[in-house]
Amino acid sequence: MIPLVSNLAPLVCGLLLALTGAAKLFGRQTARLAANTVLVRVLNDGRRATLALRALGGLELALAAALLAAPDALLPGIATALLGAGFTGYLAYAKATAPESSCGCSASDEGPIGARSFTRAGLVVAGGVAAAGADSAWWSEISRRPGGSALVLAAAAVLLLGLTADLDRVWLVPLRKARIRVFGNPLPSGTGERVPVAATVQLLENSLAWQTAMPVVRSALLDHWDDEGWRVLRYAGAYQDERGTHPVSVLFALDLTLSVDTSPHPAVRVSLIDEETEEVVPASVLTPVPRRTVLPLAN
Amino acid sequence: MSHTQESGGRRLDRRRFLTTAAIGGATIVGASALGGLDAEAAFAEPMPSLDAAIPAAFAEGRIVAMNRNVLDVAGSHGERHLIQLTNATSIWKLRTTTAEAIEVGDGLYARGAAMPDGTIAADAVWVNIVNVYVTIRGIAKDRLHLTHGNDELVGRIVPDTTTASYLGGALTADLSRTRIGQEAQVLGAWRPADGSIDIARVSLGH
Repeated sequence: MIPLVSNLAPLVCGLLLALTGAAKLFGRQTARLAANTVLVRVLNDGRRATLALRALGGLELALAAALLAAPDALLPGIATALLGAGFTGYLAYAKATAPESSCGCSASDEGPIGARSFTRAGLVVAGGVAAAGADSAWWSEISRRPGGSALVLAAAAVLLLGLTADLDRVWLVPLRKARIRVFGNPLPSGTGERVPVAATVQLLENSLAWQTAMPVVRSALLDHWDDEGWRVLRYAGAYQDERGTHPVSVLFALDLTLSVDTSPHPAVRVSLIDEETEEVVPASVLTPVPRRTVLPLAN
Repeated sequence: MSHTQESGGRRLDRRRFLTTAAIGGATIVGASALGGLDAEAAFAEPMPSLDAAIPAAFAEGRIVAMNRNVLDVAGSHGERHLIQLTNATSIWKLRTTTAEAIEVGDGLYARGAAMPDGTIAADAVWVNIVNVYVTIRGIAKDRLHLTHGNDELVGRIVPDTTTASYLGGALTADLSRTRIGQEAQVLGAWRPADGSIDIARVSLGH
């Protein structure tokens, strides 16, 4: 098993490096990608960061060619392991200094540095070490043991697929869709649920009562509670009379079972309580909205 | 309700008193659309001040220090704000809450009146509020997997708080009509610790 993996490692590493290297070297997005990596700060310049990233792509391509062409040589494997180790160090540095920055690992992957990036870099190290231990070429290994080789290559492909965020939508989203089709939506359904406070606020803010009280209200929702079938919403407010401005609590009471869907025109009770004297302020300080009369229709 | 247990008897007495006053209040029947003051208002244009003598103010940034009820806020463009919380300040952090829920390191939007000493007396403070257009990529029992552009996000479902609205309908606790692949607008509170979002409201099919 170990020699099999070891002999196939140059193929897997070579293909992976060829893909990421070509994307970095020739990709149109390399400049945009470089701008998001920590390289920009290290090199003090976006253009130099792009150059560095393209140079790295070239190096990866060269390594890939060496791995694929001379699989039983020691040097390409060691170089790959060193590259992986260097990448791990770079990731650790970037994670410590700029955790939101993109890793730039696979050239099209924009995500922040996480467990996947480190696992991928670690696998490159392991792959390099395995490739250095190869004692025969991958093509002769495949022709000698085609079944085992196919298994190892398939396992490597699945592993890499799982570690690449770009390919999530290829397999992860369909998998999740299938799960929901089989097991149903796991989220709570609202049957028998009480009306959320946000729905009551929505109902209030669409009401004529709100429009009438708007000039007095000075805050967003401060407090709310349910009592005797009513939901009471408390807002802060201020009203003016000849003695000056007074702070008030503006209280709205609505039926707690109503929402915009069930009752678009709710009955709303509005009260103003003076914050200092705790007395009910007469509703005359509210400015009623003039009721519009419906225009007559021609027959 | 959770609010009721955590507060003392005095608050309950006051609520009792206010309930009596509220239920005895004038009844107004009718409906008309007008802009609200709920969490979404954080993203609206600053309202003109109700009192022409007091200039309206709007502040945004990260809280770097808290001293009693004054928040020291570093704005995104290098500016500095001192925000005074009053007992009329509404505080939103996923839900209506009190000043104790605010922590150093949180982001905020605040709206209020500019005071002569340079502070802002806040009417409303929205802590860590985010409003993003996303695509639903996965549904689990306690979270939604979302993509916003190229970024992946985790939106947590908060029991008794997360609401959904379908096709412009009323907000409901029924979340089971969400589908993978749908476009959605998510209003919620960002968690600075792990970058996920606690969902306050998810609007679908608008």
